[in-house]
Parts: sequence; structure tokens; C-alpha cells
Amino acid sequence: MPQYQQQASWRLEGGGQVIDLETAVKDGILGGGESGGGLPAGKDGSFGASAEKLDLKKMIEELDSAAEEDVPSVFICPISLEPMVDPVTLCTGQTYERVHILKWFSLGHLTCPTTMQELWDDAVTPNQTLHQLIHAWFSQRYLRLKKRSEDVQGRTAELVKTLRKVKGQARVQALKDLQKILAAHPAVKKTVADSGGVALLSSLLGPFTSHAVGSEVIAILVNLSLDSDAKANLMQPAKISLMVDMLNEGTIDTKINCTRFIEMLMEEKSFRSEVVTRLSLLVALLRLVKDKRHPNGIVAGLSLLKAICFHEQVRSLIVSIGAVPQLVELLPNLTAECLELALHILDDLSTIAGGCSALKDCAQTIPNAVRLLMRVSEACTQYALSILWAVCKLAPDECAPLAVEAGLAAKLLLVIQSGYNPELKQRAAELLKLCSLNYTTTLFISKCKLTRTIQ
Amino acid sequence: MISMLYFVVESMGSFCSRQQPLNEVDSDENKQAAKIDSRIAEETKAEQHIHKLLLLGAGESGKSTIFKQIRLLFQTGFDEAELRSYTSVIHANVYQTIKILYDGAKELAENEPNSLKYVVRADNKEIGEKLSEIGSRMDSPCLTKEIAKEIVTLWNDTAIQETYSHGNILQVPDCAQYFMENLERFSEVNYIPTKEDVLHARVRTTGVVEIQFSPVGESRKSGEVYRLYDVGGQRNERRKWIHLFEGVTSVIFCAAISEYDQMLFEDDTKNRMMETKELFEWVLKQSCFEKSSFMLFLNKFDIFEKKVHRVPLNVCEWFKDYQPMGSGKQEVEHAYEFVKKKFEELYFQNSKPDCVDRAFKIYRTTALDQKLVKKTFKLVDETLRRRNLIEAGLL
Repeated sequence: MPQYQQQASWRLEGGGQVIDLETAVKDGILGGGESGGGLPAGKDGSFGASAEKLDLKKMIEELDSAAEEDVPSVFICPISLEPMVDPVTLCTGQTYERVHILKWFSLGHLTCPTTMQELWDDAVTPNQTLHQLIHAWFSQRYLRLKKRSEDVQGRTAELVKTLRKVKGQARVQALKDLQKILAAHPAVKKTVADSGGVALLSSLLGPFTSHAVGSEVIAILVNLSLDSDAKANLMQPAKISLMVDMLNEGTIDTKINCTRFIEMLMEEKSFRSEVVTRLSLLVALLRLVKDKRHPNGIVAGLSLLKAICFHEQVRSLIVSIGAVPQLVELLPNLTAECLELALHILDDLSTIAGGCSALKDCAQTIPNAVRLLMRVSEACTQYALSILWAVCKLAPDECAPLAVEAGLAAKLLLVIQSGYNPELKQRAAELLKLCSLNYTTTLFISKCKLTRTIQ
Repeated sequence: MISMLYFVVESMGSFCSRQQPLNEVDSDENKQAAKIDSRIAEETKAEQHIHKLLLLGAGESGKSTIFKQIRLLFQTGFDEAELRSYTSVIHANVYQTIKILYDGAKELAENEPNSLKYVVRADNKEIGEKLSEIGSRMDSPCLTKEIAKEIVTLWNDTAIQETYSHGNILQVPDCAQYFMENLERFSEVNYIPTKEDVLHARVRTTGVVEIQFSPVGESRKSGEVYRLYDVGGQRNERRKWIHLFEGVTSVIFCAAISEYDQMLFEDDTKNRMMETKELFEWVLKQSCFEKSSFMLFLNKFDIFEKKVHRVPLNVCEWFKDYQPMGSGKQEVEHAYEFVKKKFEELYFQNSKPDCVDRAFKIYRTTALDQKLVKKTFKLVDETLRRRNLIEAGLL
């Protein structure tokens, strides 16, 4: 077959051609645009150097993931339902992706898949026109996408520059715009970091920052990835004070942002527990955790409280604000995820004297904890057991009977019989022994049997 | 028939304690009553929209300065007549200040170990005695150029300077330096005090003063209406009148954090910070403020900044567990955070559980700095407006 040369007459400028591709692309349903670029067909009639095909393939892929516009149906191969990279036409006039139609033939079919006609000629003709149209269409959109993403980056850099200059309402608006762009195009995080955005945002937080500005800044910062220096800078007392204030006063979204942000800061190596040793923070978290209207807030709040509880020095402060009874009373209404967090916190608090006695003094501790054994997960059972152990050890005469009345014995037997880890089972056994001390054997067994039948 | 009815109606009336008026008179009086009622309703409604702010704090905590600042910021400020009225106050302040310094120097010279540094130069002694006498009078004379010169001479005496730097055990006012530096201006014949002068002037507030204002926002839309009350700060029968302020929107409690090493005016054995601590506790416990937000102004930050390096916080019993950490600006921030935490602790310890939803915010202020006060008040305004929206369920 003769080499297929791209003639100037086939090219896109100039009129008087049978097909003026440029105009077709511009005026047709395919939208305006780029010239398709000429490509000489290969020896076997297939299109272009493989480099050209790869380009088209790449563009198709990227545009597919951007998923913005529907590909015109005439570009789609009826067999694979994908845009055609190498369209070939059969004698029936139908066009398919070369690879797929050849496969069809190799399976022994000599029909046109869509019209079901028997083929009188098995030749496949490369449909150059269609190929050029497809290429033009994809190139145009690909270039547009690239430009837009550059645009977005440009816009982001502009916004950061604006933020350096403006104040007041203009500042709040610029921050809102920046947040919108970041939400729509996560890739610009890098641009923000590169243009000194992080340091700028950080500097906007201080003792005289208004709530409006502060809440927007935190909403942005919480979604950026910050390096150690940035985080260390953000741990300054004045900035933390602002975050705590916003935790107290903001909308639920602001509260959750601040909570997550502080938790993020806590993961830093340079973090010192004094940063979170603040009554106002702990009180605000407790309020967040008790707010039944916003389950997201409960999870975020418990998560941060758990991280804070990890630091032993802060535990007594947490107990002093009455966290123990409030958390215990929350337990029945929590989801599984929250239960694990809450029980973990209470378990940590039980390790200090104040926490343990607060647990003992709260009437709901024992019933709630017993109820949660073997109910939710191994971790929950472990924490609940640990709490019960601490409380019963503190005041066995008072607590053991209460626990037994609540059905502890049967639950403990379940734990011992379970497939949970041996340490846990050992603990359960010990607790069972502790609780049985005040009863005669028969009475105790009856307690077990009774509660089991109740269950 | 009708006349009989008339009679019946009339006599019915006389059975009641009040004579039932006839139709026309009836409707007139009713109209009047209705008018008054609606007027009362209108004014009550208007009152409800006015946010009442109460300035509380120990003596010399800066309440009145804040009060003056608000006047300057959101009202028409001081007119010339009012400015002039401060001239005699400022002159009196000058005499009082130099008297305190001179008397103080004498006292220190008698009681302190290295007394020599407090001994005033021989040729200044006569001036000192004269000024001390003037300062003790109820009505001080006008400040003339001659007297001003004498005061400057005395002020420059090393003994007086030495006394000033140890001013904490005496009752030297914080603005002593300002007065001494501006003597020449004060002694001008046609001296009219500037706004700055008025802010520094010290008068003991007696009774209650109030102003009503509307902070104009950036967009120039009409903002909320506030009414600010300032009451005297010295120890007096607070408990008798405090309940008159029940239901104020917000209590602005001023605490001068630079005072941790100073004694009370009324009782020089009592540390001022301890007095502030007790007062704050007392205010928190008052049931009349159960619903009010608390704005704590930690005032005189500028003096605090400088003092922290010279005088350790631990000299105050309340702060005895303070551990200095570094130096320079970091130390100042650290010390400030410590004081803040102490006040926070105090707040939560003295707030009943059902007051937990009260807004409580701490602001650092320097009452003499108008820009800072404006910024601080903007934040207070924002907080109170958000509170409103939250309470109305809109946020």
C-alpha cells in the first residue's frame, strides 16, 4: 500500500477542501479549536508513530479522570465503549477500534458487530478523518484543562499575594476564596506552600485576630500539610488561645476544624503538654462531646480528649472539671467508634486517684460498664473491664455487690470463655474472684444463673 | 325606661370602689392609658436591645480609663469645656505625685538599710517641704512656671529617682513619669489638656457613670447599642448595690496585671493582686451575673511587660508557683500565659455548673493605648454579636 502522506490539501487551513477540519471542529458539535495535526499513516495503514498514539491515549486517560464532558458518541467504539485511538472502518461503513474488531475477527466472526451483516470484504480501512477529529477534540480539551489548572495555580498565588496586603472584610473574603479553591483543586496545596502561604496564614493568628478571620484561617490550615517548623510556630500560646476561643464560640465546623488542628499539632515531636493544659480547652471539648446534635463533633472531641489524656500531667485537670460523670452518662448513647474512645479516656483517668474515686462516685459507672462488656468489641471490653477492676479494687465492699447486681458475673464468665487475649481473660478471672469474696458459693452461683437467664 | 337604666348603671357604679365613668370620659381615659401602655412597651422593647456592660475591678485597675477611651472612640469625645475642666485635676495630680515621691524618699531614708541613696540633696529639701505641704491641701494652687521648675529640679534629684524606681511599696501612680515629663506644657498659661492628658488624669470615681454608644462597624452600618457603666473601685459596700446590675449583658472585669508587687491604697499591707483575686471571686459568685458574659481585661500590659524582667512574679502569693522560663519576649509571653491560666482557674473554680454556658474571654489590654482599646473592643463587640446570633438559634 502506498505511504499515506498527509497532503497540504487535507490540512486544516484554507478553504475549498472537502473537509475543512478546523471549521468542522469549530462549528460542529465538537466545539471550537485546535487543529488536529497531520499524521502520516504507517505501513499497514495504522495511524502515526506510536508516540502520537500514546499522546492521544494519555490525553484520553487524563480527561477521563477529570470527567468533565461527555465524549461525543461518534468517537466511541461500539465494542469497547471507549474512545477510539485507532479507528478502522469496515466495508459496511461501521467504525471500530482496530484492536477490538481484529479480535472479533480472530474469534471467527465475519460479521459487522452492530449491523449483524455478513462481511463481503474483510478489509479494515483506517478512518483517518475520524482519527483527526478525535485527536483534535481531545487535544483541545486537554490543553484547556492544563491551562485551567495553571490558572488555578495562578489564582492561588494571586490570592496569597492579596492576603498580604488587605485587611478587614477584604481579608475575610480572600480567605474564603482561597478555601474554595483548595477544596475544589487539592493540588494547589503546593502552590500555597511555595508562595509562603503557610507562614502568612500563621501570622494572621494572634491575640487580636477576629473570629471571622481566625475561623477561615483554621479551615484552610487544617487541610494543608505543614512541616515541623510551621507546626512549632503555631504552638505559640497566643495562637493556641485563639484556637481555644474559637472552639468555644464557633460554628460546629469551626469547632471541629480547631479540634482536628490541635490534634494534628499534638503529633509533633516538639509538642509539650502545657499547650493543652488549659481549663478553657478542656471545658470546651467536654461541651462539644455532649452536643448530641452533631455526631461529627462528638467523634472529633473524644479523639482529641483521648490524645490529651495520654499525657498524665493533664489527667487531674480533666477530672477536676467533672469530666468523669459526664462521660459516663454519655456512654449509652455513643456509637461504637465513640465508645472505644470514651472508654479509653475513662480508663486512662482511672489510673489517677481523683479519677478513680470520681468513677466510683458516679452511680452509672458500674451499670454502664457491665453492660458494655462483650457488647461491642474486644477493645471496649478491655477498657470496661479495666475500669471495673479499678473501681472494685478501690472500694470492694461497696462496688463489688453493685457490680454483681448489675450482672457482672455472667459477663465475666463470657469473657473467660471467649477467644480474647489471655491477659484479658486473666483479668476477668481475677475480678470474678474479687467479686465472689463476699458471697457464699451458692448465692454467687445463683447470681450468675439468674443474670444469665435474664440475658 | 332609659333614665331608669341610667340610674341603675350609676348606682351600680357606686357599689364598686371606683366610679365607672360614662362612655365619653371612659374612652378618653382609656385612650390615655393605652397610649402610656404602648409607650412603656416601646421603651421596654428598646431597652431590651441595648446591651448593658458593667465595668468592674479594683481601684486603679483602669476601668475609668477604658471608659474615657470608649467616649473618645465612639462618642464625640471631649469638648473644649470638658477638657478645660481637667486642668485643675491634672495640676492636683502633679502635686500629689511629687508629694508622694518626696514623702516616700524621706520614709525610705529612715527605714531602708542603704538609706543614703534616698536622702534628698540639701538644697532641694526646702523645695520638697514646700511641695509636700501644697500636695496635702484640698485645693491645690495653679501650676505656675516657677513651681514647675522647682518640681523638675526635685524630680531630677537622684534620691527621688531612686525612690521612683522602688515605687511599688509606696503609692506612686503609674503615670508619674508622664506627668513629670509634661510639666512644662502643663504650666503654660493657656494650657488646655489634650486627650492624652485626660486619659492619664486620675480622679477617684464616685457613684456610677454611664454612657450610651454604638460602635460603628467597618461597613458603617448601624451596630449594636451599648450602655457602659463605670462604678468606683475602692472597697466600699459593693454588696449593697451590685444587684442593681442584675442581668447586664456583660461584665467587663479589669485587672491590672502589673500590680502584683503593689499594695492597696486603702490598706498598704494588702497586696493589690490578691485584692483583685478576691474581688473577682466575689463577682463570679454573685447570682445576679449568672447569665452575663464575662470579659476579663488583663490591663496595664505595657507596664507588666517591663516589670516582669525586674520583679519576679513569685513575689505575689497567688503566683508563688511561677517558674521563669527564658528571657526577652518569650519570658513575657510565658509570664502572661501563667497569669491568664491563674485567672482561668479562678473562673472555673467559682462558676457553678449551670453557668458553664456563660461566655468567658480574656483580653490583654493597655487602656492608655487608644488603638489597642479599639481593637479589643472590636473583638468584644464581635463576641457579643455572635452570642446574640447563637442564642437566637441562627448560628
